[in-house]
This record gives sequence, C-alpha cells and structure tokens, in this order.
Amino acid sequence: MLNMHNIRKSFRTDTIETHALRDFSLEVKEGEFVSVTGPSGSGKTTFLNIAGLLETPTGGQYLLDGEDVSNLNDRQRSHLRNEKIGFIFQGFNLIPDLSLFDNIDVPLRYRGFSAKERRKRIEKVLEQVGLSARAKHLPAQLSGGQQQRIAIARALAGEPRFLLADEPTGNLDSLMARQVMELLEFINEWGTTIVMVTHDPELARRAHRNIQIVDGQVCDLRTVTEQAEAATA
Amino acid sequence: MIGYYISLALRSLRSTPILSGLMIAAIAVGVGASMTVLTLNYTISQNALEHKDDVLFAVQLDSWDINEAADATNEIPWQLTYRDAQALLRSDIPTRQVAMHRFGFTVELENSSIRPYTASTRVTTRDFFSLFDVPFIYGGTWENEADFSPTQDVVLSKSTNDKLFSGENSVGKNITLNGEPYTVVGVIDHWEPAPKVYDLNNSPFASSENLFIPFGQHRKLEIYSWGNTNGWTTGGGEGYEGFLQSESVWVQYWVELSNNEQKAQYENFLTAYINGEKAQGRFERPLKFALSKPSEWLVLNEVLSDDNRVLGWVSLAFLLVCVINAVALLLAKFLRKAPEAGVRRALGASRSAIFIQHLIESAAIGIIGGVVGILIAMMGIGGIRYLAMGQIDTLATMDWVMMVASIGLALIASLLAGFYPAWRISRTNPSIYLKTQ
Amino acid sequence: MLELKPMLSALWRNKISALLIALQLALTLAIISNIVVIVQDRIEKIERPTGIAVEEIIAINFMAIPQDYDMIGAVSADLELLRELPHVKDATVTNQVPISGSGSAGTFYTQPNQEIGGTNSNRYNTEPHFIDTLGLNLVAGRNFTDAEMQFFDPNELKEMPVAVITRQFAEKLYPNQDPIGKPLYDGNSSHPIEIIGVVERHLGAWVSWPNAGNVAFFPAVRNTQDKNYLVRTEPGMRDKVLKTLVEKLSERDPQRVIKTRVLSEYVARSYVRDNLMVKVLTIVAAMLSFIVALGIVGLTIFWINQRAKQIGVRRALGATRANISRYFLLENSLIAGTGITIGSAAALIANHYMVRDYSQPSLTLVPLAICALLVLLVSFTAALTPAIRAANISPATATRSV
Repeated sequence: MLNMHNIRKSFRTDTIETHALRDFSLEVKEGEFVSVTGPSGSGKTTFLNIAGLLETPTGGQYLLDGEDVSNLNDRQRSHLRNEKIGFIFQGFNLIPDLSLFDNIDVPLRYRGFSAKERRKRIEKVLEQVGLSARAKHLPAQLSGGQQQRIAIARALAGEPRFLLADEPTGNLDSLMARQVMELLEFINEWGTTIVMVTHDPELARRAHRNIQIVDGQVCDLRTVTEQAEAATA
Repeated sequence: MIGYYISLALRSLRSTPILSGLMIAAIAVGVGASMTVLTLNYTISQNALEHKDDVLFAVQLDSWDINEAADATNEIPWQLTYRDAQALLRSDIPTRQVAMHRFGFTVELENSSIRPYTASTRVTTRDFFSLFDVPFIYGGTWENEADFSPTQDVVLSKSTNDKLFSGENSVGKNITLNGEPYTVVGVIDHWEPAPKVYDLNNSPFASSENLFIPFGQHRKLEIYSWGNTNGWTTGGGEGYEGFLQSESVWVQYWVELSNNEQKAQYENFLTAYINGEKAQGRFERPLKFALSKPSEWLVLNEVLSDDNRVLGWVSLAFLLVCVINAVALLLAKFLRKAPEAGVRRALGASRSAIFIQHLIESAAIGIIGGVVGILIAMMGIGGIRYLAMGQIDTLATMDWVMMVASIGLALIASLLAGFYPAWRISRTNPSIYLKTQ
Repeated sequence: MLELKPMLSALWRNKISALLIALQLALTLAIISNIVVIVQDRIEKIERPTGIAVEEIIAINFMAIPQDYDMIGAVSADLELLRELPHVKDATVTNQVPISGSGSAGTFYTQPNQEIGGTNSNRYNTEPHFIDTLGLNLVAGRNFTDAEMQFFDPNELKEMPVAVITRQFAEKLYPNQDPIGKPLYDGNSSHPIEIIGVVERHLGAWVSWPNAGNVAFFPAVRNTQDKNYLVRTEPGMRDKVLKTLVEKLSERDPQRVIKTRVLSEYVARSYVRDNLMVKVLTIVAAMLSFIVALGIVGLTIFWINQRAKQIGVRRALGATRANISRYFLLENSLIAGTGITIGSAAALIANHYMVRDYSQPSLTLVPLAICALLVLLVSFTAALTPAIRAANISPATATRSV
C-alpha cells in the first residue's frame, strides 16, 4: 500500500538547515494497522505529511498503492489525496461555520460526485458513526468525541483505502478515546489501511505493528508481538 | 463546482459581516464615485451625430483680423459672417448645407388662453432637418425660396405643438411671433441631442429650440443673433445692411459631403472663394479654413472640459485606493481563514481549487459592491444635476451601458483586489494549520 | 527607540500588508493635496468681491411683442414706475445683467486709430442711476448726467461722450496715473471718450473671463426689442418686491413678455462649475480619508489579533499597557511616514500634469505639508483605538495552551 524508500526531508530557514527525515524507509501492507510513535520533533508529523501527500520529500522514492507519487504535480496529488487518503487530526479540524453534513460534504465536492451520490454517502457515514440525528448541527455544538467521530466520518465518506490519523485521541478523555479507537479498529477490519501517530503506548500496542521514529529515522521495525515478547523476555 | 464556491463565498461573507461590509463599502464607494464621474464624462462625450460623422462638417473660415488670430482652439472664428454664409449657400457642391443661428420670439396664439411667452428659436436654412436627421411628426420643412425671401413659415418643436395645439396636427395653422403671423409648415418629434453638437456656443446641454424659422427674414425683421456675435473691426456700412455686410461673425455653418471626392471639390471651392475675397481686400490672414466632423467639433469646442478630465482622474485614483484597501482587507480575511483552506487541501482540494474558491469570494464582494455602487452613482449623478442648477438636465441618468459598466468595473476591481490574497492563500503550506493550536 | 529594530523585522515579515497601507496613504496624500489646491483656488475665485449689492438686486428682462415698439418711451415710463414702488431704493436700465454670463465686450485704446495693443473690457450701456442701483463705490470723478444720455437705434453707430470705468480697468489703461479727464478710444475709432469717473470694483458679466474686472459704463440706451432692468431693494425686502414686479409692469403695458430673476441666482449659476468642483472634490477627499481610515482600523485590528499571544508574552514579561500602545502607534507612524514620503513625490508629479495638461493651480510646499500632516493625523487616529485595545490584552494570553 505504502512504500517509502530512502525518503529525505529537510527544511531550510535563513540560517540553518534541519533534517526532519533522513533515509527514511518504510513499507505498510494493504489492510495493515500501523502505529507510529516517537518523541517530539522526531519527524512523525513530517512523515505523516509526506505520506498524506501534503508535502513533497526532498529526496527518495514514495510509492502509494504501487504508483510513484514523488514527481506528481499539485493537481494529481490533490486528486490522489481526495480519492485514496483519509485524514484524522488531533484537533479534529472541522470547519467551524459548516454544519456536520456540509463538513462531510467537503471531500465529496472535490471528488465531483452528484448531489444524490453525496447525500447517500454522507447519510451512510453519519449512520456508521452514530450521529445521523445531528447532521444539521455545527461542530461547536458537539462534544470532542462526537467531533472526532464526525471527522472520521468525513475521512471515510470518500471510501479511502488509506487512513492517516494524527493523535486522533489526543484531545479526548479515556472513554471517548476508547470509542474512537474501537471505531478505527472496526474500519480497519473492513479493509482500510490505517497509519496512526500517537503518544499513547497503550493505543500503539493495539495496532498490528508499531514503528518508532527517532531523529528522522525508523528505529525499530519489529511487530508489536515481537516487542511484547522482547519486553517479557 | 462554481455553485459550491458561490455558496461558500456567501457563507464566508456572512460569517465576518463587519470585514465583508468594509470591503463591500470600499468597492461600492470607489465604483460609485468613479461611475458618477465617468457617467457624466461619458454622456458629455456622446456624439449625437455619430451615424453621420463621416459626412457632416462644421465650416470655419479665417476672415479674422490680420493683427491677431481669432480666439478659438484652432485660431479660426467659430462662426461665419453673414455675407460669407450667403456666398457659401450659393454653392451646389454639398449634398445638404445649413446656415443658422439662435434667436428668440415672443409667441402668441389668437383666441387662446395661452399667455404670450418667449420661445427659443433657430433661424436656419431648410436643410437643417434632413442634415441633422430631425424626425417630423407632421408636415415638413419649408420651400427653398423661404431661405432667400421673407416667407413667414415656422416649424414647431413637439413640446411647442403640445403646448399651443395640444399635440394635434397644426400644419396650416397660424401663430403670432413678435406680433407677426406665421404659418406652421411642420412639427418635429422630440429631439434633444446632448451635447447639442450642432450649436456648442450656447450652453451645449441646453434644450434644443422650440421654433425653427427660415433664413430669408433677416432684413425684414432686422434679426440679430441671440448667440455670440464677435467682431474685430468697427468699420462697416450704415444701418442693418451695414451689419449684414460687416466682418462680425455670428452664423453657424454645416455641410453634408457624401464622399471624399465631393469633399475635395468643396475644399477647392472654399479655397477659390477665399482667394476671390482676398483679391477684394478681405481675408487678410493666411488662407485657412476648417471642415470638422461632429466628433472633431466636440473636441475642438472642449465640451469635455479640463475640469471634467480632472474629476475623471481623481475618481479613478480614488477607485485605485479603494482597490488597494480591499487587497489589504481581503488578505487579512483570507489569512484568518487559512486553517480552513489547510483542511480543504488535506481533503483533496488542489491549489487551483483553493485559488478559485477565494477569487470567487472576491468576485461576490465585487458584484455586491457594484450593485451598491450603482445606487451610489445614481445618488451622485442626482447630486451633480442638483449642483449644476439645471445646466445639464438633458443628460440622461445611468443607462444600461453604464450599469453593466459599473458591475464590470466592480468585478474587475474586486478580482484585481482578490488576486494576490487568493494566490497567497492557495500557496500556503496546509500542514502547518493541521496541527492542534 | 530600543524597539525599532525588532519592529522593523516584524514589519518586514508583514511587508505586503504594511506596503499596502503605505501605498494607500501615499495615494491619498497625492490625491488630497491636489484636491486642496484646486478647491482653494476655486473658493478664492468664488469669493472675489463683485463690487455690487448682490443680495438686494432683482434683474428684469422683458421682450416687446410688437415689432415697432417704442422702447425709449417704455424705458423711461418703467423706470419711473419701478423707482416709485415701495421698498425699492433705485432702478436702472442696462444692456446686460451683471455676473449673468451674458454681455457685451470691446477693445479699448488710449490712442486714436489703433489696431493693436488694446485692452479688453466688459461694456455696459446704462444710465445715471446705475451706481446707486448696483451699489458701486465711486472713488474718483463723477457720475454721468441725464444730459449726457445717448439714445440710438440698433443699427446706428453712436459715439459716446463720456465713460465711468472700474479702477482695475483704469490701472490697465493708465498705470499710476489719474485717469479722470483722460481719453478712451473704442476700437480703432478716432473719437475720444472722456473718462469722468472711477468706481472701486465690479466683476462684470463673466466671472471666468480672463479680463473679469475690466468694466466700462456708458450713458446709452439702444432701441432694441428687449431690455434689462435692475432693481435695488431695501435690505431684506427683495423677495417681497419680486412678487409684485411682473404684475406692476404688465399693468402699465401688457404688450410684452416679462421675466424676473434675483441677481444672487445669476451669481450662483455663473459659479456653478466652480461650485461643483469644490463640492465634488471635497466629498471625494472626505470619502477617501474615511475609506483609508477604515482600512487602517481593519488591518491594525487584524495584526493585533494575529499577535495577541506575542502581546500577552510581552505583558507577562513586564511591558506596561503604555509600552504596548506605543509599540503599535510607532509601528503605524513608520508605515505612515513611508507612505507620506512616497505620497509627497507622487503629489508633486501628479500636480505637474494637472498644471501642464488641465491648467490647474500648482501645488506649493505649504499646502503639501499641511496635507501630509492631515494624512498622518488620519492614520494615527485610525490606529489609536486598536492600539489601546491591544494594550488591554491580558498577560494570561501567554500562558494559554500551545
């Protein structure tokens, strides 16, 4: 599904050059649920931005779903992002002055679906996240957990094959966090590949596989079970 | 997709009413002020004889003082002497030709309750109506001999006919002018060229005349022009005849020349005429005459004055300030909404989609601003008409051309204003807005 | 001035917005300073003394109906009637109405039989009551007498024996000399007209004429089909008298069409273009200042919101409210200063073209400096409220979550 090989990303300001990612290589298979952990500033977010086609790497190769995306232009990348990738953020990032219905509508609009198709999909995902009754509400009228469920619904509406989650439970209390996690696991079971950045070791352990980024490089590629074994050993 | 962008634009405008109001106000005021002045200048620059611009010519002959050029833009007297006008009338080269000047009569109607009043009058040769394309409702112009002998015929304007005869066909009826009986031979339809290109000496935005009488009555009535009479020498004969034969200029002269050949022929005729007069001691200045098309005549007479031009520039500069103002405000507004643009980018919007979305928001401001601008311009024009104390009343208010132009100007202004802010927001790296603040 | 360097780098980061404000101020200054000189010039023109009692004069125009009308007889009968009316101080007959935009002019010489080098002057044909009727101030010599009156037919060329002229005209003809008793020649005539009196000033028929103020009065009545009377009323009685005039004159002789208009209306109509320029340009200048001020308010608020956190940090680190306000006002002054520098240059360039192409007055440094101060004041006032608001941002803003 996702195949990064020797990805480099550096940022340049007037005085210094920072390397956010160095020779970063990673493969995520179709249907996998991978968690990404690492200390602050290690390059987790840069990885996510590159994986989500929001930023272009300075060097290296990135194959998404078998397609080399390193050299695509903005329009093609936007198109891929719209069709294949769903985003979930820690801060939900719902558009405050759009209703829930209209928020979920946003990616579908850029997809160019008919009004009928959009309505069908929005109603379906609203039902999946259990918030059908609140379609007309504004984000601010919802609790944090509900907002995150809407954000997930928005990410799912386009039926992406690949879901990127950046600290999806970071702003939620533990009960809500668990609900959101269960929802993600449910989505994964239905075939969507998920890459989730998190601080929470417990959540990280629930993924199929956990990778750690330190100083812009993948530090450990063992599976979660291997890690667990290592811990008990 | 456009529909979606428009609904987003309107939603966005509603979500920041004060900032949106400011921008709309800036565009509206800028467009309103510009359109007020531009409408004024546009109307002033109209050429009512546009359709005959290639065949009509105002005639000027330099019969002025050898010591000093005439006080006109092209240094040729604006008008002709009576004797030169009479001489030119004898030429059969032009398809049509008109010698004329402004005058006034007291009007009475026998067996009528209408009190005597003074009516502005044009004393003219019979081709006036066909040369300037003046439409008749009843009757027509007078016979040719009326221009050379005192025939008391009159053509009425529509408003005069309405006033005296309640709009009925008055051809053949009599009215009394300065105590003398005149026979109505024709009634013209409503005709108000603005500016009055056929006579720019006497306030170019005044109404056209109420009465038209033949050119053959000067000696009988001892008519003096009610327009300008300019002279440079006191020499001349005795009495009214002396005045007619003097070097005073007071007759306006137009010819219709249908093609270049005819024009060349007429130029030869004028050259020969002036040389003939020179031989008799007149036309002491270097040989000079001018044939000006209506469009050239308007420029020569400076109908669009320096003041009009100053106002035009000032209003355009004002619009420019309003546009810059709108750029600054739009930039502020769009940057404030950068996080939303970031989310949209993550959800699959391309840079150009973000750019177009914001440009359409600017255009929405422009269109609303344009509509409000039209209202402001209408008030502005009303205000200027009031300030002008009736001197520009024949000027129309905004016609549809100017309305479309207003919206167009507002649209261009707002797109210009929105271009940089929209570009800037579409280029912003979305990822920085996606992290939690 | 310790703040200056960080302020400049902060401005540099917002350079586009700062530049946009500076540009607006620059254009505003360029426009307003040019407007000010034009408006000032027009107001001076409008406020020139006319030399006459504009508010107390009514002009009457009448046109006789019959062709063979006895105009000379009608005039003397009418003047007698008008002078007898209650609240009427005096009345006179004239060929032209002062400041009406319509009148007669000629070229006059100090030597006989000249053709070049004459002086143009507006000319009145009137009678001895004109001084009192117009409210002119006779500063030298004497008025004409009834005996000097000339009555003549329209086609008759009649030599004038005497003339009263304005001081301005006298100065042009005979600079630094006593004009009384000196001759005046009408056109290339050989007949001397004696200057018998000088009035302080009168603008004449045309306010925009380059020779406005050159006026000569002659004791003459021409037997034409129409005539103008001027009626001077007691102060405040003009409108009352006006109502009765047409009726009284028609009663005496119904064979004519009579029109009346107060002189102040003629004056207003004569200055209509100038007045229009003054009003329109003033409104544009006011709207311009307003729009620019609104823009500055909007943008300063935006900047302050953008930097709310930074302000909070500064407050938390001990900056006083005054420090914060001063920071934003100083920042505003820097931008305004830049704008005014560019604007002054633009104003002078624009004025160069205004003078060259559109014959407008030139812009000197004093009005430019005044306008620059004005623009600075507008900019400062606009920034004041947001700057004070900025100072009220709580230091706690700094400690809120990341």
